[in-house]
Amino acid sequence: MKPKVGFFDFTGCEGCQLTVLNLERELLDLVELMEIVEFREISSDQGEALDIAFVEGSICSSAEIRRLKAIRARSRQLFALGACADTTGINALCTDRTSEQLVGEVYGTAVGHLRYRHPRPLEAFVKVDGRVPGCPIDGREFLAILQSLLIDRMPELPTYAVCAECKLLELPCTFERGVVCLGPLTRAGCDAHCIAEGDRCRGCRGQVDAPRSGPYYRILEEHGLSEEDILNELRIFNLSGEKRG
Amino acid sequence: MDKNEALQIQPRPGQPEKQAGPGAWYLLSRGDIDRLVRSLSVAYEVVGARMKDGRYTLDRISDPAELELEFPPRVHSPKKFLFPNWEKLFRFRLGGKVMLEAEKAAVPRVIFGMHPCDLHAVQVLDDCLFEGEADSTYQAKRQATVLIGVDCEPDAFCFCTSLGTDKIDSGFDLFLHRSNDGYLARVGSARGLRLLRRYLPEIREVDNPQLPPAGKSCQRSIRFPMESLAPVLGEVYDHAIWQEIGERCLGCGSCNLLCPTCYCFNVQDRLDLNLQGGERVRTWDSCQFDQFTRVSGGSDFRPDQTDRQRHRFFRKYKYLWEKHQRTACVGCGRCARECLAGIDNTEVLNSLFAEQVAAEQSPSPGLEYQPQMAELLSVDSLTGREKLFRLRLPEPVSFRPGAFMQVSVFGVGEAPLTIASAPDADGHEIELVVRSKGSLTRALHRLKAGDAIGVRGPFGNGFPVEEFVGRDVLLVAGGIGLVTLRSLLLTILARRGEFGRVMLLYGSHSIDQALFRDDLKRWHLGDQLDCRFAVQHFGSQWGVTGGDITHLFRDLDIVPARAVAAVSGPAVMYRNVNPLLFGLGFTTETIYLNLERHMKCGLGKCGRCQINDITVCQCGPIFPYSQVQHLREAIER
Repeated sequence: MKPKVGFFDFTGCEGCQLTVLNLERELLDLVELMEIVEFREISSDQGEALDIAFVEGSICSSAEIRRLKAIRARSRQLFALGACADTTGINALCTDRTSEQLVGEVYGTAVGHLRYRHPRPLEAFVKVDGRVPGCPIDGREFLAILQSLLIDRMPELPTYAVCAECKLLELPCTFERGVVCLGPLTRAGCDAHCIAEGDRCRGCRGQVDAPRSGPYYRILEEHGLSEEDILNELRIFNLSGEKRG
Repeated sequence: MDKNEALQIQPRPGQPEKQAGPGAWYLLSRGDIDRLVRSLSVAYEVVGARMKDGRYTLDRISDPAELELEFPPRVHSPKKFLFPNWEKLFRFRLGGKVMLEAEKAAVPRVIFGMHPCDLHAVQVLDDCLFEGEADSTYQAKRQATVLIGVDCEPDAFCFCTSLGTDKIDSGFDLFLHRSNDGYLARVGSARGLRLLRRYLPEIREVDNPQLPPAGKSCQRSIRFPMESLAPVLGEVYDHAIWQEIGERCLGCGSCNLLCPTCYCFNVQDRLDLNLQGGERVRTWDSCQFDQFTRVSGGSDFRPDQTDRQRHRFFRKYKYLWEKHQRTACVGCGRCARECLAGIDNTEVLNSLFAEQVAAEQSPSPGLEYQPQMAELLSVDSLTGREKLFRLRLPEPVSFRPGAFMQVSVFGVGEAPLTIASAPDADGHEIELVVRSKGSLTRALHRLKAGDAIGVRGPFGNGFPVEEFVGRDVLLVAGGIGLVTLRSLLLTILARRGEFGRVMLLYGSHSIDQALFRDDLKRWHLGDQLDCRFAVQHFGSQWGVTGGDITHLFRDLDIVPARAVAAVSGPAVMYRNVNPLLFGLGFTTETIYLNLERHMKCGLGKCGRCQINDITVCQCGPIFPYSQVQHLREAIER
């Protein structure tokens, strides 16, 4: 029997699911090997048992917590799809103010019934079996992870940092331009996409398992960054923020 | 496409090669080279340095005009063609019966632009990958690849001149030297010669090539012989420098990925999208990566960057040298050039070497004989002959009572003087007693407060004060011997409560010659110790015992079982006093003697103070009786 796969989304931009959809050509090869039973199903507390659930977005309300737990309960494996689900990602930028302030700023004071919590990653509420990192996710990495799951091999993410991929592409170090880059802390797997395009790494894929923060901060300080500057850099994708598990 | 052309390395037997073979020289114009590139492109993939996105890279050359033959060392290594990061080992098919498909033959390729260091690096790869069962995937690429060298200018990170990798005599098919009118091509192999003859038949051989003077210079260097690298590293496995660079290292692996000789790899399966098959590939790995030495169950035998950086250095400069007598570093500088943390191999190696040399050679011979300058704080007359000097030392000292200093007057000499004061916590000030006797001590007597004075020390082994704690202490001093016991007595008085009864017996020739008369009077009148004196010539105002010091033993009430005796005076005093002490019940273990001699060097070397087989300056001058009782020179003469 073909494995049943479902895609779900919570608070996020849905860019990761879009990345999956953009893989249509490649997915055609794979689609015969699985059964995609749900995709972007907003209210599916009930439903059939799943082999793999890919869940996008952060968790921001009690209703979302309930729905996430229901998905978890009927899924053999649950994978966080993208940074919002994995580490809260840029959603965590709002944690500098209270949820009441946030609701007030966005919806005004007239709307009294909205109850929002600060966004949290999936891991804060349910067991997560694995993740597809990035903002958005890398399509090829998603395919490799999906392939692994379909042949019952636990997918492995690179344990090294983006610098390695930068070097393999023969890209000059971003620091040589006098630009701060989070590549040394950030998990590889994106083929240094942003740097290859002339930008810098902002850490959307999260930190490697054992980030060398000490030596890295020393280098940032040598480049004239203050502690506050460094924290601001890390804050973009919530690198030092949410604890896992 | 002529496949034989690419794969054949040995010249065909019987082919008339003339004398021209490896070692022959030909003159080529740039136009010749362009034609060569164009012709080779038919049968080979031609690779060379070209500008891409504003920097040089070794890449496929489709237009000969874009081939650069002079380019800086900052280019990624040609390792990527001979030992690529992503190398298919074989294909497999799933679904039904598993089938394996061998990899196809390697692509014939010509690499224009091998710098000398990179050619040396290929030899390192050959050493490692052909060793034992040759790595056939590498071998296939190696055989199918024509290597054409070009010269280069070292940049600020190169240190090839230190490793002898700035030039090369073999290991290439052709080597192009820039000359005034084009390029002088040196033939390095029969294949190289055949290529020239086939594609550029009209070029002429040069009998006597006029090369511009070689002579490269590098800003960075290894400042010791390359042959010393392995032995230098052999001594420093636990050196702090590994932790120092380990704490700077980001673990990014750039050093390994850029290194032209690093070849450690991982092997992984990559699946086709439809999961019907896949390939087993070899990818570059790095000893700096987290998973590199992780074993099943999660433990890691090289768990941090300290261990990993040391391993990188040891692998490059020691392990492989010992195996192949070739350093696995070619001095290309790529690792340091692109290390964000600024870890620099030459810096690390030079500091390790310098430290070892410094440890082996005394940086300034004679330093142990060179006094430091102390300041004379005060000079007080004790008697007509003796003065008390108070000194401030440049460095704090610690010593046991009985230790001595070597005191210098430059131009006159140096002599040992016992420290008369007790050691204190600050350790900067000491007192010495100087008896005017010879030219040195007379010179010392002429000094006044504020003058500088040369000192070495303290030297010598003093009284084991801690062993006296809790016991009664009998001090027996004669004449200037009191100086030594004053240091001990002041030490005891500073910790008075820790000792039992304290008794001082002091004998001198006359009242006038008694030292520290103020101290003696104070001790005599106080209740901290029992202080008794004897003078041989009496009749003065002090009501003291007449006769020598033995008189003081007559009504001595002491319990030897819980006492120790410290004796310091002239030899004649020991001969008279020691039997009395034994008569009282003291033992060879509870009598301590001061056996000062002329301790000239203080270092146990000069032999002047040696009594039988013991050097007083090192083992004494304070000895328990038991340690010297067998020495005929100690007391009896």
